[in-house]
Amino acid sequence: MRVQAVGYFALLFATLAVAQKQAPLPKDLPPYGPEKPLAAPIVSASKLDNGLTVWLVQAPGIPQIAFDLAVRGGYAADPADRPGISKLLASTVTQGTHTKSAKEIAQEIQAAGGDLAASPHSDSIEVGTTVLSAKAEAGIAVLADVAQNAAFADEEVALAKRNGAADLEQQEAEASFLASKALAKELFGEHPYHVIAPTQDSIKASTAAELRQVYGQRFRPDQALLVAVGDFETDKMLEMIRGHFGGWKAPAGPPIAVLPASPHETKQEVTLVPRPGSVQTTLELGAFGPLRGNADYEAAQVANAIYGGEFGSRLVLNIREDKGYTYSPYSYERTLQAAGYYVTRADVRNEVTGPSLNEIFYELNRMVTTSPSEEELTTARRYLVGNEAIQLQARSSVADELANIWIDGLPPDEIGTYGRKIAQTTAADVNAAARKYFPAAKTTIVAVGEEKVVREALEPFGIPMRAAQ
Amino acid sequence: MTMKLAARGSLLLALSVCASTWAAAQQWKAPTSMKKLANGLTVVVSEDHSAPTFGICVSYGIGFRLEPEGRTGFAHLFEHLMFEGTPDAPKGVLERVIEGGGGSNNGDTRYDYTEYIETAPISALEPVLWTEADRMKTLDFSQKNLDNQRNVVEEEVRVNVMNQPYGLFFAIDLPGKAFDTYPNAHNFYGDFKDLDASRIEDVKAFYEQYYSPNNAVLAVVGDVRPEDVYAKVEQYFGAIAARPTPPRPVVEEPPQRTERRSAETDTLAKVPALAIGYHMPPRHSADALTGAITGELLHNGQASRLYQALVKDKQVALSVDGGVNWPLGTPYEYNGPTLMTSFIVYPPNVSEDQVLAAYDAAVQKLAQEGPSQQDLDRIVAKMRSDWYGNLEMPISRASALSHAVLYDGNFDSVYAIPDELAKVTPAQVRAFAAKYLVSANRTIINRTPAAGDGKSKGAGE
Repeated sequence: MRVQAVGYFALLFATLAVAQKQAPLPKDLPPYGPEKPLAAPIVSASKLDNGLTVWLVQAPGIPQIAFDLAVRGGYAADPADRPGISKLLASTVTQGTHTKSAKEIAQEIQAAGGDLAASPHSDSIEVGTTVLSAKAEAGIAVLADVAQNAAFADEEVALAKRNGAADLEQQEAEASFLASKALAKELFGEHPYHVIAPTQDSIKASTAAELRQVYGQRFRPDQALLVAVGDFETDKMLEMIRGHFGGWKAPAGPPIAVLPASPHETKQEVTLVPRPGSVQTTLELGAFGPLRGNADYEAAQVANAIYGGEFGSRLVLNIREDKGYTYSPYSYERTLQAAGYYVTRADVRNEVTGPSLNEIFYELNRMVTTSPSEEELTTARRYLVGNEAIQLQARSSVADELANIWIDGLPPDEIGTYGRKIAQTTAADVNAAARKYFPAAKTTIVAVGEEKVVREALEPFGIPMRAAQ
Repeated sequence: MTMKLAARGSLLLALSVCASTWAAAQQWKAPTSMKKLANGLTVVVSEDHSAPTFGICVSYGIGFRLEPEGRTGFAHLFEHLMFEGTPDAPKGVLERVIEGGGGSNNGDTRYDYTEYIETAPISALEPVLWTEADRMKTLDFSQKNLDNQRNVVEEEVRVNVMNQPYGLFFAIDLPGKAFDTYPNAHNFYGDFKDLDASRIEDVKAFYEQYYSPNNAVLAVVGDVRPEDVYAKVEQYFGAIAARPTPPRPVVEEPPQRTERRSAETDTLAKVPALAIGYHMPPRHSADALTGAITGELLHNGQASRLYQALVKDKQVALSVDGGVNWPLGTPYEYNGPTLMTSFIVYPPNVSEDQVLAAYDAAVQKLAQEGPSQQDLDRIVAKMRSDWYGNLEMPISRASALSHAVLYDGNFDSVYAIPDELAKVTPAQVRAFAAKYLVSANRTIINRTPAAGDGKSKGAGE
């Protein structure tokens, strides 16, 4: 690279100035300026007497504070005969407490400048809001009330069930939902991680009593984290939190059960999800990757950035910029508490379904068989470190990221180590990670679209094909 | 917040007290300045040292509204071509510079602007400024790039419109029915026949007309010193010559006299939906901010009147979204005719008339009784918070500053909006609803699931 790049960790980047196969950069292009250290958020961690973990981050700037309350247990902890009840729980937990109606709660949080949203994930349920700094206590009070006193009134549950059923029906019309659901099933089989949404049967069968039971099991201080990010004094914030959450008591019963071990291998197979009327085929490929905290997690992140995680990645340059097959191809790694996996996603017009899969296979295997160029490696490292720093300027992103770290069982300072580890990743590390996780043969394929189009396009690959269950 | 509503004497007095107390407690402003180069390029700088990063936005005064007839979708297609390289920086250099600098970039086309945005660690500021100047000088006008990006854009339309339930009918078809003139009514994503007909000469002419420094505003936000930014901008952009911009055509609409209703079918949707659009007053009229508040009172979150009435009380809807200038911008950022849009998804066992009856009851209640002062305080707090949220990230603050300067010649509104909102009274909201939210001023499209004949009627055709 002609530009003089001084790395985030200057030592490591001192030698990058040469060797690249791409065209030279413009002669007049000014070099990058000197780096400034990208400070990671500093987390002040504490635990209340009742076991509630509290992580606080001071952030200057706009007068807003982001709160996130995470409790352990999400889709993967749902009872086997009530898959997806976490979603119904999330949609009803904010709809009234023993002393306040759903409308009063919505109005109180709005008056504080926020929305109250509960979202179900595989390993957790999170309730979050971002309020005006001057209204911090009102926000905490609402969160604390919802965490301790949710009522699950019959009429709210009935309405949530009805709307949840219609919502699911609508989601089933969306190619991306169908693809994600089929991919989770393909990767995880009968393991609880295959649940990413409810079924019509489980919605119909769920009752208010069941919701109260699941709520009691999961919403307990010894299995919960509260994060606050914004412009506040840590001591005062902790006092306010203690005032509203200090009386929350853990029940005597056991918390959620430990998850069974997740599968970590998949076989190359095409799962066809017929969707009549599709003008595109939605391709979603999945392969297992490292857990967050594994030694090769960062190397695999760099590999993914080079492969399909950045706009300048091999996949985007190939099937979008060179061939124009698709608007927005991308890949990402998703980590759960007990599994990590990669997803490649491209929505391609019907006629290029086969050629697109061919190019995706080519790029996956090229990651395995070729080392990244010096420029690819440098760009990917800087991109990941820089984007992390940029994302973490948003209060709600810091709160989300800290909740993810906690759910994955890692300490709060993990948020500050990511950049350092990424910057230390070598070409050999990336190559090793790519060889382990990227071979097309270790990847399963979901194709959502017109059945005839997909069959004709993908049969020549000779990969076993079957219709989604 | 320390506002004391109980201290109210007369309504008028109480309001002014409340507005100023509120403002003192909650006001937030970042140091911001602006300067105009000799070639007409306006530069805005907002200093923020909270992180060693920056955000940049270059907005050009061209959007869907002004794209030529017979070339629907051209402003957006053109936006794609701005990423395809220049003689000095061939295709790929832009991404190498920005991603190699640890950042990311994007572009957006809207009714009244096309913006190019970047954010990165501060070390990448200079090369990123250079690339923005470079593509303001000229482009690589090649047939290959045009063909490639036309394919990409057509895939974008397929993924966002044709292969999606509802096909953005509330954003594409609704303005098409509500407006009478080409600038406001045409399909902004573009008919494929128009996209296919686009020639390289069109690309050159469009660039020549609209992509001049004097038709652009550059905003830089982040860990910078204004004098350094002004010097660098002068260095990289100063030599780009000004060019005449075509006179702005009339884009105003004749008033709507009667309600307009139509029906569509949708092969991908499983559940019916309604889109309702009311014409709104111009952005700088006395009613504009009252309109923004009215739109949010009706649509913003679970406390909103439409959510409470339609989803909770009457249970005739599954979801309600909308607002003024929704979904393609904030209620403060438009520079021509716009609508207050409601997008309502409702259960198949409920009729269109039942949804409308509940909708009309909620709107009429607002028009007859107005909001209480408490209702108004609540929504103003929420809008204030939402707007601060919009200014949090350097890249989105740069965007907001740049749009304001493009429309108004100054950025005052960016920091003034929260306080201006607090001045609006319940009586003004009531009067606004009574004047604008009437059936003669609205357009309704009902879109219902169809048996699969492979074609949806309406958006994306």
